[in-house]
Amino acid sequence: MGKGEGVIAIAQFLFFPGLVFTAAAGLLTSWFDRKLTARVQMRKGPPLLQPFYDVAKLFVKETCVPEGTLSWFFLSAPLIGVAGVTLASTILCQAMWAPQDIFAGDLIVVMYLLALPSLSMILGAFASQNPLASLGGSREMKLIMAYELPFILVACVPIIAARSIQLADILAAPPVAHQFSGLLALLVALIAMQARLTRVPFDIPEAECELGSGVLIEYSGPPLAMYKLTQAMMLFTGPVFLLVLYAGGIPFSEGWLAAGLGLLKFLSIVTLVVLIRNTAPRLRIDQAMRLLWGPVTLAAIMSLVLVYWGL
Amino acid sequence: MMSISKKIFSRSLFLFHLGGSACNNCDIEILDALTPKYDLERFGIIAVGSIRHADVILLSGIFNKKSAIRVRRMYEQAPKPVIVLAIGGCACSGLIFQDSYNWDVPVGDYIPIDAYVAGCPPKPEAIIAAITQVVDKLRNPAAAGAD
Amino acid sequence: MSGAADNHGDETVRQIKSALGERVLDFQQRSPKRIYLEVDAQNITETAAVMSDELRGRLQTASAVDGPQKIEILYHWAFDSIGLVVSVRTRIDREQPEIASITTICPSAHWIEREMWELMGITFAGHPDMRHLLLLDDWPDGKYPLRRDYRKD
Repeated sequence: MGKGEGVIAIAQFLFFPGLVFTAAAGLLTSWFDRKLTARVQMRKGPPLLQPFYDVAKLFVKETCVPEGTLSWFFLSAPLIGVAGVTLASTILCQAMWAPQDIFAGDLIVVMYLLALPSLSMILGAFASQNPLASLGGSREMKLIMAYELPFILVACVPIIAARSIQLADILAAPPVAHQFSGLLALLVALIAMQARLTRVPFDIPEAECELGSGVLIEYSGPPLAMYKLTQAMMLFTGPVFLLVLYAGGIPFSEGWLAAGLGLLKFLSIVTLVVLIRNTAPRLRIDQAMRLLWGPVTLAAIMSLVLVYWGL
Repeated sequence: MMSISKKIFSRSLFLFHLGGSACNNCDIEILDALTPKYDLERFGIIAVGSIRHADVILLSGIFNKKSAIRVRRMYEQAPKPVIVLAIGGCACSGLIFQDSYNWDVPVGDYIPIDAYVAGCPPKPEAIIAAITQVVDKLRNPAAAGAD
Repeated sequence: MSGAADNHGDETVRQIKSALGERVLDFQQRSPKRIYLEVDAQNITETAAVMSDELRGRLQTASAVDGPQKIEILYHWAFDSIGLVVSVRTRIDREQPEIASITTICPSAHWIEREMWELMGITFAGHPDMRHLLLLDDWPDGKYPLRRDYRKD
């Protein structure tokens, strides 16, 4: 890799399709979430740039670091999440829009990277020196164990269908959601994604009423802005990942109609996430684990069996 | 630069409800103001659960000698800049508790208060009017006089 | 349902009367669900033992009143299964308000006795942890806000 390619790679990570693009897309998706929630609750909802204002406002506030913690650790924990989701989004968007820059095993790398935001929340929670944050952090750990199992199982479905572990090959193959096994896998992945995004019914780590904002209770100012940004970017990257795996991504190379259809698919996945969030109650952590390791994992195994039989 | 940060601050206010030993009528009115009927989210206002996330602190209820010390501690934990609103007569002046054995001074003597919303309890419209007045003062400091 | 309450209530009343015997100075049943007893202050620990341990009542709360001649303390025991509440009244001197603490017998009396001490000035002998509950820790001694002669200075 020459120097020029290195500079291009850094520019891709920082601007497009990296940090700036993913942040903007994530914040716009976050607006869509809040507007749809408002409409469901029969009210108007925030203006388009509200999530941008929220993040910008947090840079105006002072940062409070709890006593007795390692301040460099407390302050850098949010950045791990930002870095992880940015890199994952860069790889995914490159796979969709510039498939010549592939590398072997990019799907596995993306799956590892998508674990980093949750990890950074746990690190931040335990760096907070607060019993409520520790409670939220331990629940987040249990939640990760719960949703990673079915998610990894159904991530194998498009791999088996396309007979390849590379994202470009999965995208080139016919979208697996057109088969019954793929549809089932998409549903399981949706539930697992709801847990990964810590949305209701799985938002126990950040339960506002119960834990006083749980993992984020001690964060303020710019570090909190980084966490909010990570959550917004995950709201974009998560559904995009589901699309890439099951529904052929958002292709811009095949013309505007296909791209528009892809965008519509993206918005419908986000809509599903938002509607579930608005209609479901919050699950206790033991209920969430029982659900994710029980029926959801069973459905995941079923979809694996079905795709192996070619259904 | 100061005015841009004030303008951004005025567009996204996170509310934190800090209650003293209230009779809960003011708490209910604050809750009403946060319901879909008044829809504060279109102003960028949402309620948060941690004092570290607070931009606007809503004080409600009567703060006696013991809880006023704690309120001072909570105020110091809120990252600045923060706006403090006193909701209801008890938070403003002590109201019927002024002769009580457990009360000495209004909570405004412990922490700086930016706006007083009198009423027992004040209607949600009054609470929203106070918030919008504070927001206007942030956006047009010249029109409202010195800070 | 109230029929059953009456029957069990009558049974409980009989048990109270037989267990306390001579110590009951006054007895009133103002309604099927409410009984008022009066006992002497020095018999309060035995009464508490009868109500809590023997008869399995639950100490709901206690209330102190600065009465016309003496300070009255009412202890309220509830019998949840039959819906009966028994209030036991004792009277103590205002000049030297002392009574035995029943915290060792009824642990739920712990905080209410602290509150009665700090607001009414009643000394509870044998209380494991007597300190301020609602008032400030450095509240001046000897000033009891709920007494009739208290004036805010």
